[in-house]
Amino acid sequence: MAPNLKMLANKPIGYRLSVLWLGVCAVFSIFGDLFPLPDWNYSDSEVLGVGMFSPGHFFGTDFIGVDQLSAIIHGTRYSLGIALTTVFLAMVIGGFLGILAAYRRGWVDAVISMYFNTTLSIPTLILVVTMVAIFASPDPFNPKTTIPRVLVVIIAVTFVLIPVLGRLARSSALSWTGREFVLVAKSMGMKPRSILWQHIVPNVLPAMLSVGFLAAGVVIIVEGGLALLGAGAEPGASWGSLLARNRGDISIIPHTTFIPVIFISITVMVLNYFGDYFRTQIDGRESRI
Amino acid sequence: MPKLFRITQRLSQVVLVLFFVTFLVTILVRLLPGDIATTLFPFATENEKIAIRDELGVNSNIFVYYFRWLGNFLTGDLGIYYSAGQSYEEASLTVWAMLSQTIPRTLLIMVYTLGFSLLCSIPLGMLLAYKADTRIDKVISNILFGLSSIPNFAVGLGLAYIIGVKFELLNPIGYITWAEGPAEHIKSVIMPVLSLSLGLIATFTRLLRADIISTLKEDFVTMASSKGLSNRWILWRHVFRPSSLSLLTAAALNMGSLIGGAVIIEVIFAINGVGMFLVTSIALRQYLAIQSTVALIAIAYILFNLIVDAFMPKIDPRIRSHHGA
Repeated sequence: MAPNLKMLANKPIGYRLSVLWLGVCAVFSIFGDLFPLPDWNYSDSEVLGVGMFSPGHFFGTDFIGVDQLSAIIHGTRYSLGIALTTVFLAMVIGGFLGILAAYRRGWVDAVISMYFNTTLSIPTLILVVTMVAIFASPDPFNPKTTIPRVLVVIIAVTFVLIPVLGRLARSSALSWTGREFVLVAKSMGMKPRSILWQHIVPNVLPAMLSVGFLAAGVVIIVEGGLALLGAGAEPGASWGSLLARNRGDISIIPHTTFIPVIFISITVMVLNYFGDYFRTQIDGRESRI
Repeated sequence: MPKLFRITQRLSQVVLVLFFVTFLVTILVRLLPGDIATTLFPFATENEKIAIRDELGVNSNIFVYYFRWLGNFLTGDLGIYYSAGQSYEEASLTVWAMLSQTIPRTLLIMVYTLGFSLLCSIPLGMLLAYKADTRIDKVISNILFGLSSIPNFAVGLGLAYIIGVKFELLNPIGYITWAEGPAEHIKSVIMPVLSLSLGLIATFTRLLRADIISTLKEDFVTMASSKGLSNRWILWRHVFRPSSLSLLTAAALNMGSLIGGAVIIEVIFAINGVGMFLVTSIALRQYLAIQSTVALIAIAYILFNLIVDAFMPKIDPRIRSHHGA
């Protein structure tokens, strides 16, 4: 722990603040249940629309008496959970497809690139809204067959995120295969598979990681947008759906809308910061290789 | 004829992508759970329901269904919008009639947004590049980084509260066309355009700043300044022109998120645009409306990118020579 802390002290102030914020979010999402707070969707009819910093309700309550701090903590788990899951899945699947396309070329490349180009030519939010609306909307005469909303959001967002990360993996893998050290390895008789694992994959990963941070920010925004369009997670469960539920009361109890908005904005800012930070690190590293 | 070949190749790619996009949407629409006839017209008789299914073609397989839709779409028939109040026989509202009202609104807002963003970011980006690494550059650059991370619905909600509710300067809901009153029209689009622009301004300015700084290091700039040309002339004529290229590319790249953002902003400010229309169509299971609208959005998006690509060599002569080589 000690060397880690020392390393942190050498980083710029923005980096330290960003680590701090993500740490708080991690604590919220992992230990959220241990806080002595009312349940995230328990409505207490004694305290309706209480302002911020009132006793017992640090972030106040909304008009159905839900404690906003508890809702935010629960939302952290949902929003970050959705972002992490989708980005992880998209990185694994997209990375695999992208590197496969760059490695195999020919018809494999053509098919995979066509999937990427097709998906990328529909604006992300439009496609996700359509998919969520379709898979999450209950059959009016058989409502029990519906898949849970969160799962649908995760699947739909992953589907549109795969091409974003996959195309990056493909172009990055292509550019590395042309480098001298790969040619040397090839001419020395190294097997294509080992070249892939030892020379291509380790160099593609950092670029994907930095874009992964940016993608996680985009996912949080998309989730918020979906919620505002009525296609997000269950009402009040994530930051986005909390904000969507409280939006109607903005003129009377604005804090219930602006707390989730601020949480979303800061988290996206932090994720973008990390994405930018790692990209400059990688650029410096790549120019040395 | 390498150039002609390149153009045909690009166009055939675009056509192929369009085919897959529309087919993908068709698959999605056909996957909607529930019986379409019952959902659209719960009180129709059994015979009427059979007629509706026949007319929509949902009995036939997906390929027949798709090509029938495609044929109609290409001949300009976007389908019928089945509104809830009407019975099946009276359904006469076409999707095109709905879109011809909503498209201009969305398009205008997007044009305003792009125009306003460029208008703000070009001078700001040049100023920051000119003052690179000074205190003012660092402060503004950091602020811009923060702004570029704030989602546009956050800006929209903030503006709606501060301008619309707190100070009651503008009406936060609704859209007024130019014909109904130019001043009212401008007033009704200020907040939507501002909320869409803020992130774009930050993105464009940051990009332009980095681009101009690297262009200023080029040999032809040194050459121009040693010829004794004025700073202003160099900045506009030699530096801005190549840099505007990456600005245009960025504008094209941001088009997708701008369309998505416009949908949310339309919902927040209750503007009856394409986004609002699409969202209500999805909620009301309007098969044909969803299919045709998404297809139109995708076509517009792809064509916009194509046009940007085509115009690039016009702006930066260096690209022409690169392509030729």
